[in-house]
Amino acid sequence: MGLNPRRDAGTDSDDRASRRRLLGWLSGVGLFGSGILSAFSNFVFIKPRATYGAPQRFTAGKPSDYPDGTRVALEPRRVCIVRDGNKLAAISTTCTHLGCIVGLSETGFACPCHGSRYDQDGTVTGGPAPKPLAWYKVSLAPNGELEIDKDVEVNPGTYLNV
Amino acid sequence: MRLALATGAFVILIIHGLVFYKQFFHDWERNQYAYFDQARGLAKTEVERASVTGRSPRIEQLIVTSFGETRVDRCETCHIAADDPRFANYAEPLKTHPYSTALGDYQKDGRWERRHKFEDFGCTVCHDGQGRGLEPGYSHGEDPFWPDPLLGYITQPGWRKEYLPALKNKIYLEANCAQCHTEEGFSGTATVERGRKLFFANNCFGCHRIEGLSDGTLAPDLSEAGKKYKIDYLWGKIDDPRASSPTSFMPKFNLPDEDKRALVVFLKSRKGRNFSETEIQRFRLHLTGGAELVQANVKPVDVRPGSERETGEKLVSDRSCTACHKLGDRDGGIAPDLSFEGLMRDNDWIFEHFRNPRSRVPDSVMPSFRYTDAEFHAMSADLDSLQSAPPIGAPAETFHALCERCHGEKGDGRGKIAIYLDPSPRDLTKAAFINSKPVERLLHSVRYGVPGTSMPVWGKVLDEQQARAVLEYVFATFTKEPRHDVKPHNVPESNPVPSSAGSIARGEATFVRRCSGCHGKKADGKGPNSIDLLPRPRNLRNSWFVNAVEDRRLFDSILYGVQGTAMPAWIDYGLTNDNVGDVINFIRSMNRKSKETTYASAN
Repeated sequence: MGLNPRRDAGTDSDDRASRRRLLGWLSGVGLFGSGILSAFSNFVFIKPRATYGAPQRFTAGKPSDYPDGTRVALEPRRVCIVRDGNKLAAISTTCTHLGCIVGLSETGFACPCHGSRYDQDGTVTGGPAPKPLAWYKVSLAPNGELEIDKDVEVNPGTYLNV
Repeated sequence: MRLALATGAFVILIIHGLVFYKQFFHDWERNQYAYFDQARGLAKTEVERASVTGRSPRIEQLIVTSFGETRVDRCETCHIAADDPRFANYAEPLKTHPYSTALGDYQKDGRWERRHKFEDFGCTVCHDGQGRGLEPGYSHGEDPFWPDPLLGYITQPGWRKEYLPALKNKIYLEANCAQCHTEEGFSGTATVERGRKLFFANNCFGCHRIEGLSDGTLAPDLSEAGKKYKIDYLWGKIDDPRASSPTSFMPKFNLPDEDKRALVVFLKSRKGRNFSETEIQRFRLHLTGGAELVQANVKPVDVRPGSERETGEKLVSDRSCTACHKLGDRDGGIAPDLSFEGLMRDNDWIFEHFRNPRSRVPDSVMPSFRYTDAEFHAMSADLDSLQSAPPIGAPAETFHALCERCHGEKGDGRGKIAIYLDPSPRDLTKAAFINSKPVERLLHSVRYGVPGTSMPVWGKVLDEQQARAVLEYVFATFTKEPRHDVKPHNVPESNPVPSSAGSIARGEATFVRRCSGCHGKKADGKGPNSIDLLPRPRNLRNSWFVNAVEDRRLFDSILYGVQGTAMPAWIDYGLTNDNVGDVINFIRSMNRKSKETTYASAN
């Protein structure tokens, strides 16, 4: 139809013009929509849905495995299980300075790399560490085991009552 | 144009939308939402409720490093309730993995505890399947190219329909239990153990090698059968070996389904590795090759003096001999008829042949089984006692009863078992050969057998007259062309060249130049041209045969050729009596009884 412009000047030229506009509009919406969708997908794909590291959520035995007063570091998980009476918590053992694994000491935690010190609750008492140690969410899995989720940080002093 | 553009744009938008939907809205997410809802409803205490609040769907994965290569098992992404005991009565995928004492699970304070915690073991260690998959079809291994579909649960398209019901059975999982639980008598791997017993009871060990268990060399090595083959293949191979590979000479054992399944489970458990054994144990097994274990697995039968024949009879009938051989009315269709073996071979021959079949028939495919000498003596005694000759009727019937199994219905050397025999039975329709040999020689072959081959000694079954009658029948029916007198060639009666190191060396040089193209560099009849020739070139290291043939016949065959075969008359190619004498000395030197004399005379 574009080959013969004279015919377009006929009686139905208004109809044709509006049809043309509508079609142009529709194409625009279609292409623009696809563009938006693909752009959005690309942004979402930047963050991987799963990585091959150790799982962030894991179970760590029964509460009864940890008697009152326990402070035990689960080395490969980089987390310290603390039990105080009927209250349980999980404190990170990754130093907030440069990521070394902090050890347990009489007063709390001590980092072997640059001498950062933390007290029993992970608050910084000395050394270069900029932030207190993180506390992770502890819950009770349906099979009765403790479940620690390192993806979810909680406020220091948040315990699970068992 | 604009219409096309608008339509195109919308099609693209729809496709984009579909892809977007598929990529961002998953079945497993809906599954997990369903689980969270259910779990919230089931929660009785605040703590239980707290454990599901705030959770959003995500890929759950177990990373297992203790069993070979690192496994990434994402099964719990869909089977998210697998470790939640409240979902015991729900439908898959939201169902608790069953607890069972058979798996080692135990009850403590009224709650079940798992022996194999999912976090330590993952899922695919026991179940197989594709741990990383997030769609049921892929993760369960329904894709025909995935090597390990969920064992005993999933069958793949392309598996033979009639096998499918037999292949869906939880019992196959025992194969994976046996990856760690190798101890004997372990209750969880009873089927594997049964399969192992069957592997020995059915004489599979005679042909197949399994590292640490057996050292057969005739058939494929099954040390890693579980890794290489899926259960449908293993089942099919046991059910009907020739269905998928027509040239296989594995016998059809006609086992009941139960036995087949036990063997498949056993073979599936052979993956060439073992999670519970240390490197040093593996190395030790590698060194012994499993010879000791064969002895341990094949329990020797106590043969009491006086009852040897009876024990032998039982052994022969129990040990699947008839999976290959014919004995009475049982016939495996692969190996010679043993129904009157006592008339054809003597006790010594049978015993030595049992101990090593290749010590009597050098190219035999019969496995050497590892039984004790006492058992072999008993079995030989039994076979030797089979001395009742079949009734001899008309020559045609005799041929049908005695010769047809190897020489074929049409006498063309293509009998039922001919392809398993080496050298293959003579083609009796080849007039050029049959008519070029004097009747006396043919008669000799019938009555006294051909040493080193499967042609037995018929002398005690057929008297001379009967043998002649059969030959006449063969000439008339198969050879057809009228016989003419055979004029003997002018060849020396015995080798005029004395055997010496020099003569052997000259003979070897001639042999390599003239003969090795067909007879092979090793003189074993397997030269490069041999595959195109029928009958095949003679294996000249078959000592039984070579030592039975007199010099005269060797001279005749070499100088004047063998009619009806590819052996040319070498006298036309310039070989003299002396050359041939050297070649014969060389051939004889390879077939001397003791190796030392060969080396001594060669040096």
